[in-house]
Amino acid sequence: MSRVFQAIEALLAVMLSAMVVMVFGNVVLRYAFNSGITVSEELARFFFVWITFIGAVVAMHDGSHLGMDGFVRTLSRRGKVICFTLSQSLILICCAMLFWGTWLQHEVNASTMAPVTEIPMIWVYGVSYVSALGIGAHALIKLWRVATGRIRDNELIDISENEEIHPIPVAGGADR
Amino acid sequence: MTIAIFTGSLLGAIMLGMPIAFALFVCAIALMLLQGNIDTTILSQKLVEGADSFPLLAIPFFMLAGELMNAGGISKRIVTFALTFVGHLRGGLGFVAIFASVMMAAISGSAAADAAAIGALLIPMMRQAGYDVPRSAGLIAAGGVIAPVIPPSIGLIVFGVIANVSIGKLFLAGIVPGLMMGLSLVLAWLWVARRDKVTILPRQNWGVRLRAGIDGIWALIMPVGIIGGLKFGIFTPTEAGVVACVYAFVVGAFIYRELPLRQLYPILVASAKSTSVIVFLIATALISAWLITLSELPEQVATMLSPFMDNKILLMFVIMAIVVIVGTALDFAPTLMILTPVLMPVIKQAGIDPVYFGVLFIMNNAIGLITPPVGIVLNVMCGVANISMNELMKGLWPFLWAELIVLFLLVLFPDLVMVPLAWLTRP
Amino acid sequence: QFQNRTIRVSNGVSKEHPMGNGLAAMGACTLEKTGGKMKIQPYWDGALGNDLTATQSVRTGSLEMVLTSTAPLTSIIPAFGVFDLPFLFNDEKEADQLLDGKVGAWFSDKLPAVGAVNLSWWENGFRHTTNSRRPITKAEDFSGVKMRVMQNNIFIDTFKELGSNAVPLAFSEIYSALETRTVDGQENPFNNIENMKFYEVQKYLTLTKHAYSPTLVLFSKKVWDGLSPEEQNVLKECAAVGQKEQRKVNREKAEVSLTNLKSQGMQINEIAPEEMARMRDKLRVINDRHAASIGRETLDLVFGELKRIRGN
Ligand code: NA
Ligand code: NA
Repeated sequence: MSRVFQAIEALLAVMLSAMVVMVFGNVVLRYAFNSGITVSEELARFFFVWITFIGAVVAMHDGSHLGMDGFVRTLSRRGKVICFTLSQSLILICCAMLFWGTWLQHEVNASTMAPVTEIPMIWVYGVSYVSALGIGAHALIKLWRVATGRIRDNELIDISENEEIHPIPVAGGADR
Repeated sequence: MTIAIFTGSLLGAIMLGMPIAFALFVCAIALMLLQGNIDTTILSQKLVEGADSFPLLAIPFFMLAGELMNAGGISKRIVTFALTFVGHLRGGLGFVAIFASVMMAAISGSAAADAAAIGALLIPMMRQAGYDVPRSAGLIAAGGVIAPVIPPSIGLIVFGVIANVSIGKLFLAGIVPGLMMGLSLVLAWLWVARRDKVTILPRQNWGVRLRAGIDGIWALIMPVGIIGGLKFGIFTPTEAGVVACVYAFVVGAFIYRELPLRQLYPILVASAKSTSVIVFLIATALISAWLITLSELPEQVATMLSPFMDNKILLMFVIMAIVVIVGTALDFAPTLMILTPVLMPVIKQAGIDPVYFGVLFIMNNAIGLITPPVGIVLNVMCGVANISMNELMKGLWPFLWAELIVLFLLVLFPDLVMVPLAWLTRP
Repeated sequence: QFQNRTIRVSNGVSKEHPMGNGLAAMGACTLEKTGGKMKIQPYWDGALGNDLTATQSVRTGSLEMVLTSTAPLTSIIPAFGVFDLPFLFNDEKEADQLLDGKVGAWFSDKLPAVGAVNLSWWENGFRHTTNSRRPITKAEDFSGVKMRVMQNNIFIDTFKELGSNAVPLAFSEIYSALETRTVDGQENPFNNIENMKFYEVQKYLTLTKHAYSPTLVLFSKKVWDGLSPEEQNVLKECAAVGQKEQRKVNREKAEVSLTNLKSQGMQINEIAPEEMARMRDKLRVINDRHAASIGRETLDLVFGELKRIRGN
């Protein structure tokens, strides 16, 4: 599993670097050569969308989505388990609806081409399949662990109150 | 009814410990149920559409630039530079902290990271020189929240995208209010630290100052470059972000040589992840924004605020008071995402300038980062200074009040924002 | 045969735009013809999304109606790209005749297959150029001017061909980009230039009339199929009523806007006919370059009809 997430992290890093290169390249081209590559604006935006929605799955895995744990922390283990089960079930429902909505919208996006690159828009808007499946699977696993009584106390709060500082992991290492 | 469903579902889901992004999702579904029309395609389409925006690209760029600068030794040089000038004055380290906060604010957009970086450098020095530690930590915490007000600012970017307001204008409008926050801290510090007995550092000669200036020049000219570049139209806010990345990388890696190339990969990964967390939240907020638009929620809020509708200053005062109260319990990003779509129709209806409102709203949200019980900058400073929350709060009060007074003044005198803005955008 | 219905309409423009007059006329008409049952509920300033995303919502039935440019449709049906070609129409009369005639119907007939019904052709109008560098008097004056253009290959190509640096930017960022001189110029109909206050940050307005932007009154096919034939008729008739009002006000307001822009201190100039002819010649390559993506059949149809209308 950690191999998979390492590969995803590498993908995120590559896409972010590509965004920097493309957008910075355009600034340079505009000033140095009074020209620009119109494709790079659109492509950088698409990479950004992918980073966001693939990264959202990683953030679920890391427990780094923003949330407020003040209330849940005051509860007993029993109370925490109830809240956790409820919240993971709701997340699962959200993911199912998201997946279904993307499916209903699939044809509309597949038949629409991006204005400049002319990539079918499903390659951009279909990224919600990835988020729905990844986050949904995460919720399912957690619910399974609750059902089988194997859930550990520290798993019951998997959000972060910190919106700004995310520790930089050691080079090359996975988070866990 | 709509207001009850909206707040009930949202707060209920947040209390359960759900990520706020999914709480917004649940809130959107609750609003759909209320409107009697479950439409899953809206969920998927609006979600991705929320992130599919070029101006938002500034977020990963400024995140990355911030990480690169912290790793590249830029904050250290800003502090050293200020020390050589005012270290020998009474309360001098406090002035160093304020100067460094304003400078860092003009380079990065993160309140917590700025406060942490400056605190880590200055609090040990302040402790050793005999400064009151909670008060010093309070000052640095209050200094940190200047970051989202002075450009570059992720808060202003997000507001601009959700409210459809020019980010370039918001950036230029934030400069003077941010400087006023810094000035208010100087005055508060002069007042509370006037009788302190502290060791003062030796006065430095101009040679030392010059050397610190030369060593720090690459850090010191960065704010000038970013703000000047925006003012003179050399680049858009998004491009400013990417230029800041490249600049911070070149300075950190090749000039200061404090950023080893192998650090680049983890920094990229961390920036991408932070981006994802923030933008995923924005995207879910835009789903509920669509449903808020279709529901009568803005009208209901407008009706509630209608007694104040005729008087812009009174209306702003009431809204700012509400945001201060909400800000005690909710932090920056959630307040911004939830309240922007609700408040914007009211602001437009009342004829308040959206740029003016945006700057005050962001300042208010930033101050929320240091109001108890929930305030992330407070948690960070407790950790950095190794003091309890109660101790920190005792030291923080004067500075918190100083910044609230600035906010109040800006509500009373909108020209304090608008006149400098007109000057800055003059061709 | 009429049920209580609220038709939600997405607009990218603000409610002061002539689209507002058109929708008001259309709404008054539907109320009258249905005994107060069918209401038109507009949403302005892209509150429900930009043209592209609102069009997608219309296609899936999440939204009843959108007033959109042809841009989102070009992404779905490339033939619509013909309306982006430079100097396609000479005047409004030609545009009206072509769009309200069999060619307009030919385009509308392509839409049900992708989930939309076009009720009528309204307009954004002829587009003109503003910039802060110099008055445009000939094609060469575009050289080196950084122009904001829509994100659209034909427009980008057109302005590159003229020698300017085409920079695609979001509509909401145009004002501040012009103000800080990140870009030097932009192109839009008069009404937009006035509504967006571009006159505050642009000195020169050149009446290039280089393109005509039609607007489609696009209805969701999914919702449409659930309406009674009477309801469908009312919508069609009232969209035509709206069309009359919208075009009328749009053209009147364009005149007023032009006067206002002048009094706001914009320096306005026309291009001499012979220079205009040179510019058209220079841009003829655009038609050829994009012929493959638009489709030969479409081009022949449109240019054939224009020839007929022009009577030669
Ligand atoms: Na900042
Ligand atoms: Na707070």
